[in-house]
Amino acid sequence: MDGWILIPIFLPVIAGAALLAFRRGTAGKNSDTGMEDGMSGKAQPESAGELKRLHLLVGAVLFVSALFALAAAWSGERQVTLFYLMADIPIYFRIDQVGALFVTFTSIVWVAVGVYSFVYMKHEGRERQFFGFYLLVYGVLVALDFSGNLVTLYMFYELMSLTSMPLVLHNRSREAVMAALKYLFYSMCGAYCGLFGIFFLYKYCDTLTFTAGGTLNLLLLGENGGLLLVAVFMMILGFGVKAGMLPMHAWLPTAHPVAPSPASAVLSGIIVKAGVLAVFRVIYYVVGPEFIRGTWVQTAWMSLALLTVFMGSLLAYREKVFKKRLAYSTVSQASYILFGLSLLSEAGVTGALLHSVFHAFIKSALFLTAGIFIFQCGKTRVEELRGIGKRMPKTLWCFTFAALALIGIPPASGFISKWYLAQGALEANVGVFGWLGPVVLLISALLTAGYLLPVTVRGFFPGSRAETSKEKAENELGAQAGQEDAEAVREHGGEPALGMLVPLAVMAALAVLLGLFPGALIEYAARIAAAVL
Amino acid sequence: MNAIVMVFVVLFPMAAGVLVPVLPFKNRTRMMIYIEGAVLFNSVLVFAMLLHQPREAFVLLKFTGNLSMSFRLDGLGTVFAAIVSVLWPLATLYAFEYMKQEGHEKIFFMFYTITYGVTLGIALAEDLVTMYCFYEMLSLVTLPLIMHTLSREAILASRTYLYYSMGGAAFAFIGVIFILIYGTTADFVPGGVLDTARVGSPGLLLLVYLLCFLGFSVKAALWPFSSWLPKAGVAPTPVTALLHAVAVVKAGAFTTMRVTYYSFGADFVRGTWVQSVLLCLTVFTIVYGCSRALKETHLKRRLAWSTVSNLSYILFGVALMTPLGLLGALCHMVFHAVMKICAFFCAGAVIHQTGKNYIYELDGIGYRMPKVFAAFTVSAMALMGVPGLCGFISKWKLVQAALESENSLACVGVAALLISALLTAIYMLSVSVRAFFPGGNFDPAGLEGGKDPNWMMLLPLAVFVAVMIGFGLHAQPLVRALESVAAGV
Repeated sequence: MDGWILIPIFLPVIAGAALLAFRRGTAGKNSDTGMEDGMSGKAQPESAGELKRLHLLVGAVLFVSALFALAAAWSGERQVTLFYLMADIPIYFRIDQVGALFVTFTSIVWVAVGVYSFVYMKHEGRERQFFGFYLLVYGVLVALDFSGNLVTLYMFYELMSLTSMPLVLHNRSREAVMAALKYLFYSMCGAYCGLFGIFFLYKYCDTLTFTAGGTLNLLLLGENGGLLLVAVFMMILGFGVKAGMLPMHAWLPTAHPVAPSPASAVLSGIIVKAGVLAVFRVIYYVVGPEFIRGTWVQTAWMSLALLTVFMGSLLAYREKVFKKRLAYSTVSQASYILFGLSLLSEAGVTGALLHSVFHAFIKSALFLTAGIFIFQCGKTRVEELRGIGKRMPKTLWCFTFAALALIGIPPASGFISKWYLAQGALEANVGVFGWLGPVVLLISALLTAGYLLPVTVRGFFPGSRAETSKEKAENELGAQAGQEDAEAVREHGGEPALGMLVPLAVMAALAVLLGLFPGALIEYAARIAAAVL
Repeated sequence: MNAIVMVFVVLFPMAAGVLVPVLPFKNRTRMMIYIEGAVLFNSVLVFAMLLHQPREAFVLLKFTGNLSMSFRLDGLGTVFAAIVSVLWPLATLYAFEYMKQEGHEKIFFMFYTITYGVTLGIALAEDLVTMYCFYEMLSLVTLPLIMHTLSREAILASRTYLYYSMGGAAFAFIGVIFILIYGTTADFVPGGVLDTARVGSPGLLLLVYLLCFLGFSVKAALWPFSSWLPKAGVAPTPVTALLHAVAVVKAGAFTTMRVTYYSFGADFVRGTWVQSVLLCLTVFTIVYGCSRALKETHLKRRLAWSTVSNLSYILFGVALMTPLGLLGALCHMVFHAVMKICAFFCAGAVIHQTGKNYIYELDGIGYRMPKVFAAFTVSAMALMGVPGLCGFISKWKLVQAALESENSLACVGVAALLISALLTAIYMLSVSVRAFFPGGNFDPAGLEGGKDPNWMMLLPLAVFVAVMIGFGLHAQPLVRALESVAAGV
């Protein structure tokens, strides 16, 4: 009956796979001439008509699947058992409130970033391949959000790692390939830590089907509580890899600078959230929060999360490469969410869910901005962005709004989620973390202001021309390079095409507006939190 | 169905193989048709026999006293015979194409076909003595296959193989003797045949069991007896793929299952120091094989090390000494056969089409041979244990058995399995990534020749991929069948 909720999973997967297979098909035909797409190191330009058709197809598939995904998510609780892996292990989809929430923001961001990439990917080339994997990952993510039991979730978690890897290595440089492998192996390492826990949970839980409040069977557990705690901690660490939790955060700053900006945007905004979702499902829907409350696992988890919040911000503050800075920022912000979850209190969970949503929009907006800077004037480092606001004020305004939201300045959205996170920490009766948490969050917010706002400030107010001697020399060099180049730079340096600006504006607007009118969302998140605790 | 069929399927390939160099074939195609026809006919017979499950035994020879060469089909034998008889025709088909460039085809196919019969002999043996005979025979008839190229390297490798196998068989023989003395019968009986009245103090017998297990596990490349397997990678790919990933090495695993669950009996060993030793060795080999695979840059040798590791998954299941452990071991025996033969065939296809042996030469080759590398990637993911492919099922069953056994070393084994899975991801996927996503400075002109091979090589690959996905998504019937086999012990 509810089989149609599989449409948003299979439609993009099939379309994406078809795109990739078709590319290979043409490659075979062209092999005599030696002109193969992807064969050559450089991107092979596709003809304009072909591109238009490609964009139309991808756009249509994306739009239709997103519509179906939203329809499925908001039409009440539905479930489908696809097939049985083994007698007691079905591949089973069920849409609950959490899944609906995650699918919603995933779909919005995915469509917006998709539109943005129609323009952006022109300068990266190999569009067919990019969009093929882009669609694949979307289908896998929807499946991940709809997963109704732990094994299904694990299956799509691994598939997500595998299918998103080609997005990272898109430009095929040596660094990109190495970064992609690093991303893949970190993810796999995390996934196997998670699997380790799943084995134990399978033994000690009544069922692996997600049930609010957990399904742990204490009778079965008997004396083995200590062992299971280790297993649960392994799962938190393992799925935390995707969420960039220390000590396994290093893939983020490596993968983001080399990946195309739209890929970075969805990696940071959405795929990181898959790690969050997995941890959330494990703790609140299988193990049950009561099992780890007050144990060393909770303490270690909170400490790691707080440490990551602080270290991430600090590293971001020190980082000069713009996209790397944003990547460290993701490390820090994702751990806000994990910290919220680790508190095991209603306000904490509410805050974590809110921050997942807000951060998805904010971080994609920030990465889209970084992409625009690269696309329009090839600038990747923060100090090169001086005075950029003169050339593209709209872009920088969008960036500024998103930045304000991330710092948590009221009334932008980040404020709301951080408020709940701090409140959760104070309520949660977690000893020293009750006050340490809010303090770290506050310091991190200051650092966030420190690493994001200077871009705005210097972008709009570059100061006098005579800065450091080095810059002076550079300016002189630029002047010598001749009138033509300068004109070319100016020409390319303007506001981006609407196809890029509109998605950015939508993301930034959502980041602010959700803060202004948060009522319904808060209520929704609080309902989930109340159900699982 | 007459029990004589059992003897026929063992002897027929041997006879057919011996006739290959003798018969006057007009051309190569005739020879191909003859061999493939014989192998296919035999496989069909085996399947007919497996479906009818003849219960009675058939005594071929009586040596003396209670020593005889006799055959009987039971659950465990069914599993092994089924694996072998499915894979052999496909591998033979692949070998026709592959062996074109290797020469000495008649000799090769003679031994290749004989090996089929010998392997079935191991599967169908009714008692320990018969199995031992065929086990020795297997070492001898596969020897010429390893030294096929007659290069110095090949001869050295075959010598190593011979010494290891013979040494292992000698140790195993001690076990055979003790079973003849202390057992009620030499036949295989689920649960073991040890006569408790005669055993007295089990100390010596445990040691003998250990020696016997280690002796048979030489073929299954348990550390420290594993180095022959990667060396034997010099053999032509059909040999490495079918024999060194399936028939020979699985015969090693199969014989350890026989002595453990059908001769000595798992109850006898469970909880003793011998079990701890075996668990330690298998767990170590699981990680050791993967690490060596990671270090290796020669594609076939990398796959061989991976086999070492995966075989120890099976031995680990056996060493758990529980029916669940045997179930996990059987699952992995079946699934690993398909996954690894597929990976080897892909490596062979690369060698056949381009002559490239080393992984660093494979940049961008996925664009020339997309179908082969698609198959390779699927088998890589299956070996890693991605859910939805068959490797996940067997790992799940193994881990479940390990956790149920309440043995602390078994929990270490679970960790080892996962570490091994991660290493597998690294050493397999880095090949796929290199093939499909070469670095930016990649020069397409340097990639002369090489495209997807013809249908004789692709058909087996397609079958294997279908099997991996099919069993990955719907393993229930197979698992239930294996459960009934394992439940007997």
